[in-house]
Amino acid sequence: MADVTVQTATESAAPPIPFSERYFNVLLGLLSVVLFLVAWQAVFLFVPFNQLFISKPSLIAAAFYDMVMSGELLRELAVSAVPFVYGFSAAVVVGVTLGIVMGWRVRVGYALDPIMTVFYASPLVALAPLVIVFFGVGVSGKATIIFLLSVFPFIFNTQAGVRAVDRLLVNVVRSLGGTEKDLYLKVVVPSVLPYIVAGARIAIGRGLIGVLVAEFFAASEGIGYAIARYGDLFALDKMFACIFAIMIIAVIMTEGIRWAERAAFPWRVGR
Amino acid sequence: MSESQALETNLSGVADDLDAPPRSFWQRFEPIILGTSTIVVALIVWELLPRLITLSAGTKLFFTTPSQVAGTLWKMFATGSIWTPLSVSASGFAVGLGLAIVVGLPLGVLIGRSRTLNAMFDPFITAFNATPRLVFLPLVMLWFGLGLWSKVVIVFIGALFPILINTYEGVRNSDKLLINVVRSFGAKEWDVARLVVVPNAMPYIIAGLRLSIGRAVLGVVVAEFFGSESGLGVMMVQAAGRYQVDIVFSGLIIFAVMTLAMTAAVQVLENRLGRWRPQRTGGE
Repeated sequence: MADVTVQTATESAAPPIPFSERYFNVLLGLLSVVLFLVAWQAVFLFVPFNQLFISKPSLIAAAFYDMVMSGELLRELAVSAVPFVYGFSAAVVVGVTLGIVMGWRVRVGYALDPIMTVFYASPLVALAPLVIVFFGVGVSGKATIIFLLSVFPFIFNTQAGVRAVDRLLVNVVRSLGGTEKDLYLKVVVPSVLPYIVAGARIAIGRGLIGVLVAEFFAASEGIGYAIARYGDLFALDKMFACIFAIMIIAVIMTEGIRWAERAAFPWRVGR
Repeated sequence: MSESQALETNLSGVADDLDAPPRSFWQRFEPIILGTSTIVVALIVWELLPRLITLSAGTKLFFTTPSQVAGTLWKMFATGSIWTPLSVSASGFAVGLGLAIVVGLPLGVLIGRSRTLNAMFDPFITAFNATPRLVFLPLVMLWFGLGLWSKVVIVFIGALFPILINTYEGVRNSDKLLINVVRSFGAKEWDVARLVVVPNAMPYIIAGLRLSIGRAVLGVVVAEFFGSESGLGVMMVQAAGRYQVDIVFSGLIIFAVMTLAMTAAVQVLENRLGRWRPQRTGGE
């Protein structure tokens, strides 16, 4: 539940910015990123860092290019994507279903809220070693960890969304002779969907954590494994290339959802 | 059909809760009774499961019962064997979270107050916040070794962003009129921050702190799984390798209690700090 409130707090913040100012912000942001990279590269001219422990942007870029061209990066990402898709889809199905039931039926909500809160509050990542030992290092183990981590944002956000359905709107649709279908399509779904999407944003972050933990732990392939292995080999340029790949994907996924939220539910953004 | 009826009863139920004060004993305590009974029933079923159906030998290896877990927990505290790993984990947690507050709060105020700084930091904050900070774990271990400091760094980068971002949001939402009034009376930027901006941002900061506790605990657990010599996480990994499932669950429970206790403490802090507030503004 905590995440839900913070969610709205984050969304309420951005006031509409005039175009010129936004342009200024983007330019300044780009400038600072470039400056950061230049400074990183330049430091090596003055300080002879041990290349085993730190790498330069130029080397990282070269490694990134190599790994993309050889297809290695894509292969590792594809390996990690499979359990992510399984675990995440299961989390959506189970989480949304449970959330709807918990939201619709007050008593079910009362009954399940505390136990779910306990699960949500406990660091379920801590079960990772057990899950890995139980399911092995394959897809099922990873998918289970991802599911465990990403199901709770869906449960709580869907529940909050169902609770937030406006009773007045339900009655209006009924009074005006709306059918069941109208009720769902015009009231229930539009009201719940933004909450589910907001939950998805949190869940993606947690799912990625699941991928990484599972693969750091025990895996023979995958992007998390690649990062850990290159770290062990002191191949810092390749390690950074993998880290940046994950950063890019994470930003695309979360910002993509944010963009979709703005496009699909514009009425939520102003709140 | 039945679903929409359910919807209606639910909604009227919620409205009843809000409008009228609860009348009967049952109505007042229904949530608590139902909630605890679910947990109790779940525990009983879990306890009785191996007695009712025979588990295969393979499953039995991974099975434990609540009574066993409780016994293990009791033994750990009675013999005092838990205190060393617990204190190791707790110190990593405390130092990392403390650093995150010390860095995140002022930085959040600065970025919130300055448009230029905001624009410059924005790409970094967006990128780091979206990325699970665990990707840096192998790197951090390479730099800081197996010990307290790599744990502190992981906890720090995990807990920093919720505090930083929420402080920033709170600062951005503070009342412009109040800032102008304080300015007109000759206040410096420092006074504006102290008198208007930080008190106004407090609900946001507290919400960020609440989030960051979860992140910090996650950081402790994972850092100890991979790069530590002692601590609760180490204890759990070793136990999982030896199929001592009861120890794994004991560790999980200790972590969960830690998280819940800290969150409750933050709640108390919030109520205390918010007492002067005439009505809830901002926050939600």
